[in-house]
Amino acid sequence: MTEHLLQVTDLEVEFSTYGGDVKAVRGVSFHVDPGETLAIVGESGCGKSVTVQSLMGIIPMPPGRITGGSALLRGKEILGLPPRQANRFRGVEVGMIFQDPMTSLNPTMTIGDQISETLMVHRNVSYREASRRAVELLERTRIPEAKNRARQYPFEFSGGMLQRAMIAQSLACSPSILIADEPTTALDVTIQSQILELMSELKRAENMSIILITHDLAVVARMADRVAVMYAGQIVESGTVDEIFYESAHPYTLGLKDAMPSNREQRDKNLMPILGSPPDLFDPPKGCSYYARCPFAMQVCKPKMPPRFTFDSDHSHYARCWLQHDDAPHEERLFQQGKRDVD
Amino acid sequence: MAEATTDPYLPTATDFSPAVTEESIEQLARPSLSYWQDAWRRLKKNTRAIISLYIIVGLALFTLAGPLVWQVDPALQDLNQISQPPALPRDAVVVETYARWPGVVIEDFPIEPDEYVDSVPAPENVRVVEAPSTQRVRLVWDPVTGAGGYNVYRNQRAPHSINDLGLPLGGTMAGNEVSFEDRLSLEQRVYYYSVVPTDGFDEFDTWTTIEVTPLLSITRADAVARGLIAEDSEVSDGDKIKLEFHPLGTDYLGRDMLARLMEGARISLFIGICAPFLYVLFGILYGGFAGYFGGQFDQLLMRFADFVVALPFLLFMILFKIAFGIGPGESGIIPMLIALVLLGWPATARLVRGQVLQIREQGYIQAARLLGGKHHYLVIRHIIPNTMGVILVTLTFSVPTAIFTEAFLSFIGMGVAPPTPSWGSMCNEGVKTMLSHPHELVFPAMFISITVLAFNLLGDGLTEALDSRMRSRE
Amino acid sequence: MLNYTFKRLFQGVITVWFIATATFIAMHNVPGDPLMNDKAVSAEIRRNLERKYGLDKPVHEQYFIFLGNMLKGDFGISFTQQNRKVNDIIRDHFPVSATLGVLAVVFATIGGVLWGALTALYRNRLPDIIIMFLVILGISVPSFVFAALGQLLLVNINSWTGQSILPVAGWGTFGHMLMPALVLGLGTMALLTRLMRSSMLEVVNEDYIKTARAKGLSPTRIFFRHQLRNAILPVITVLGPQIAAITTGGFVVELVFAIPGLGRYFVQAVQQLDYTVIMGTTVFYGAFLVLMVIIVDILYGLVDPRVRLQ
Repeated sequence: MTEHLLQVTDLEVEFSTYGGDVKAVRGVSFHVDPGETLAIVGESGCGKSVTVQSLMGIIPMPPGRITGGSALLRGKEILGLPPRQANRFRGVEVGMIFQDPMTSLNPTMTIGDQISETLMVHRNVSYREASRRAVELLERTRIPEAKNRARQYPFEFSGGMLQRAMIAQSLACSPSILIADEPTTALDVTIQSQILELMSELKRAENMSIILITHDLAVVARMADRVAVMYAGQIVESGTVDEIFYESAHPYTLGLKDAMPSNREQRDKNLMPILGSPPDLFDPPKGCSYYARCPFAMQVCKPKMPPRFTFDSDHSHYARCWLQHDDAPHEERLFQQGKRDVD
Repeated sequence: MAEATTDPYLPTATDFSPAVTEESIEQLARPSLSYWQDAWRRLKKNTRAIISLYIIVGLALFTLAGPLVWQVDPALQDLNQISQPPALPRDAVVVETYARWPGVVIEDFPIEPDEYVDSVPAPENVRVVEAPSTQRVRLVWDPVTGAGGYNVYRNQRAPHSINDLGLPLGGTMAGNEVSFEDRLSLEQRVYYYSVVPTDGFDEFDTWTTIEVTPLLSITRADAVARGLIAEDSEVSDGDKIKLEFHPLGTDYLGRDMLARLMEGARISLFIGICAPFLYVLFGILYGGFAGYFGGQFDQLLMRFADFVVALPFLLFMILFKIAFGIGPGESGIIPMLIALVLLGWPATARLVRGQVLQIREQGYIQAARLLGGKHHYLVIRHIIPNTMGVILVTLTFSVPTAIFTEAFLSFIGMGVAPPTPSWGSMCNEGVKTMLSHPHELVFPAMFISITVLAFNLLGDGLTEALDSRMRSRE
Repeated sequence: MLNYTFKRLFQGVITVWFIATATFIAMHNVPGDPLMNDKAVSAEIRRNLERKYGLDKPVHEQYFIFLGNMLKGDFGISFTQQNRKVNDIIRDHFPVSATLGVLAVVFATIGGVLWGALTALYRNRLPDIIIMFLVILGISVPSFVFAALGQLLLVNINSWTGQSILPVAGWGTFGHMLMPALVLGLGTMALLTRLMRSSMLEVVNEDYIKTARAKGLSPTRIFFRHQLRNAILPVITVLGPQIAAITTGGFVVELVFAIPGLGRYFVQAVQQLDYTVIMGTTVFYGAFLVLMVIIVDILYGLVDPRVRLQ
């Protein structure tokens, strides 16, 4: 197997609370290659953010703790490093932007200072030099009058501007991976589009990889090369963006698609919500976690955890669903390899 | 076909028949608890808050039920036991009623020395005549040749030099007057009496010290008057009788500390709980009206509240208290209560107003309004329950403030008028004798501190328990 | 910022007017008579005295005269110490109280921020537990007990070492000020420590701390540059009211340590019903505290850009 830029294997994260341990991430594996965009999709609370935050070592510990798995960045383990060592890759190799730009910047520091701080710490440059480069970075993220803007405080910026500043900050040391944790959720739709545009542009220019966390399939369709669908702390389906959209192999992916508004085909079709809510992760189900909400649920799904059924030889498309088993019945709308012509 | 990476389980054909979904899709993650149930659950987990709650219950019992158990008049003075530290019941020797003592004068010894000398020997044979009691100690010594008088000192520890003889009690002005009687607030303890000869004016540098432990004593008449013995009882001089029991000692007027602490608790806790209750109530009404009506009316009311906040609190407490005046024989509790209410309400008013304004704009209020909820329904069902938590916390934290204020004012002599005891005024009295009788300060100060501590910790616990942010954080 | 300052100063003037009016009303309702203090006064002398103090005029006229004099900064003449101006009394004794107060505030603030940051850093570990226990004590023990204990401590130290390490009472040298300022600031220090701790712990959970960590900054840098600076803000906001609390709390310390401050004078004036001194001191203190709150507010504006620039 070739070495990936980032290889995450069987990551497990728990949070201790008064009611017991919440198993927020249960054996998540994925990889990122240079220059590609991986989208992690799922409902709120399915463990997307926890996954990437534990990679960065920024989940609060305690109550959080990483109970298993590994994450190799260029072949080097990055999980559970002490702050000094973690800081060799945080902000340098991997940059990160957050959901709410309004609260993610220090309110009592100027934007310019916050950007140049990263440079001064990692690149060991003077304050003057760092400030100059901060203005350049702001210009690259298309902030008008960057020079004046750099001297302003976060509360003087609009949400979209702040997210640009956040991106400028995360790009300061030209990272090879940018983790974007729902970067457009808190923004207006028009601003969303601009931010996404900016991100794809910068990605091309820098040959950077992006891990994009979102619950918005439209964003996925627009940005992603590959997609991992998460549900209840597990990746239930993973594949290229085309495979996920046109050969959906997990009922949850189908559900997400049905719940997405579309302006092309089936314009008069009603949006279909997924009924119910995700399972309680205090005591995750023994079998398939989607069982309770699945329209195709079978006897086997409740007691037995479905294994990963992989569809092609390069292991890129897989799904955790019993319906992919050879003996399973055929379902019209689901992609089931080898059952296409059964009818 | 699809290839399973790990397949520990080989399903059978029946496995793939459709499942019968018997359970509801909407499964609840945890048992649902109401706001107050949830708060109570979290409060119960907070050991410190629960201990504080017990302490507060204990204080209430001490205040309300205490006087029933310990029926001692807090104003009664026990002059045989003044400023006594806490101790078990004491025995006292019954002595005869005090009679004047003529003293000892040696007729054939010169009143003044025949010739002045530079130094004299120390007095010899200094001794106590008759049994020393707390009624009096009588000292006699042999005359010193060359002395024209004697000074007598008393110390509570053995003196190590002539400058360390202690309290000058007095003396005689003649070389042949060789006795001294000490009746100066004697206690049952070891005293070191020193006799220094003088030439009539100046002291010589010799002295003799003896150790005396006077016995606690009471006259028969006193004992009868205080009800310690019956009038016709067989007790005679020299017998021992039990004195009144003062488990926490007595104050500088011989009043029972325990009884006074209970009485003081009534005053301090009355002010400490009533005043916050009243001004929080007033603050709720004031702030509630301002917040509910809003607009100009709100602006006007809150401007006034701002002014009241700006008044220097303690200065105006004092001003208001003297403005309301204390007539003779009044304790000054009500003026203090009124002053506290007059100055204390704005904080609650601001808080409640803020809450009401905030809640009024909340989605669930809008929703309830759209569903046709009437005004009083909104207020009773939504606004009041949602402000109760904050109000409860404010109330809890207001108690320590009020208790402190009362104590502070009483301490500087602007609080409740003597003889009414409050913990603060007891501290005021106790601080004067702090060096010799620390218990008179320690006990009331301890009661203030424990009460304030308990309410503070309970307040902390309530804040945490009622904070809805904490709820979601777990 | 200049606008803001003027606005606050204008509000301050109105507040002082309110304080003066409230003082006037309160004092005119005091039962008893300042002129009937010790000795019986003949009707004629009484009339003369009333004229001297303006007590023969109708109440509203007295009020306006009072306000006018306040505006001029003239607080009148003491009732009990004739020939002594209230202004002189304030001038003689206020600097003492102010020195004591400032020292206590400085002490309380530095201590509070330091201990608060320390406890947050060692959260739930031994230093935190010990300091927080002391803080709880500091909040629950009344200031006069601290004053008494502080004095007792000095007495014991001095008698134990056999020489005067620090004076037990009085005023004059820095040595005189040390213990009174310490005991006076103790309560506030405890309060600020608590506030600083919870503020620090709140800031730790803020998103921008997460950002700072994701930027790869060292824990020390995050602590000083991001956490501490933002955590101090709420501490500054309570400083205004706390200065008020310390200034009036000084009364007790002045009494216990026999310090010739204005507080002790005020208590004495109240006991003797010395009208002019009470009114003058109250209005003066009120104005001083209003000014302090304004200064703290402006200071806060300088630290927090959100206030400064809006």
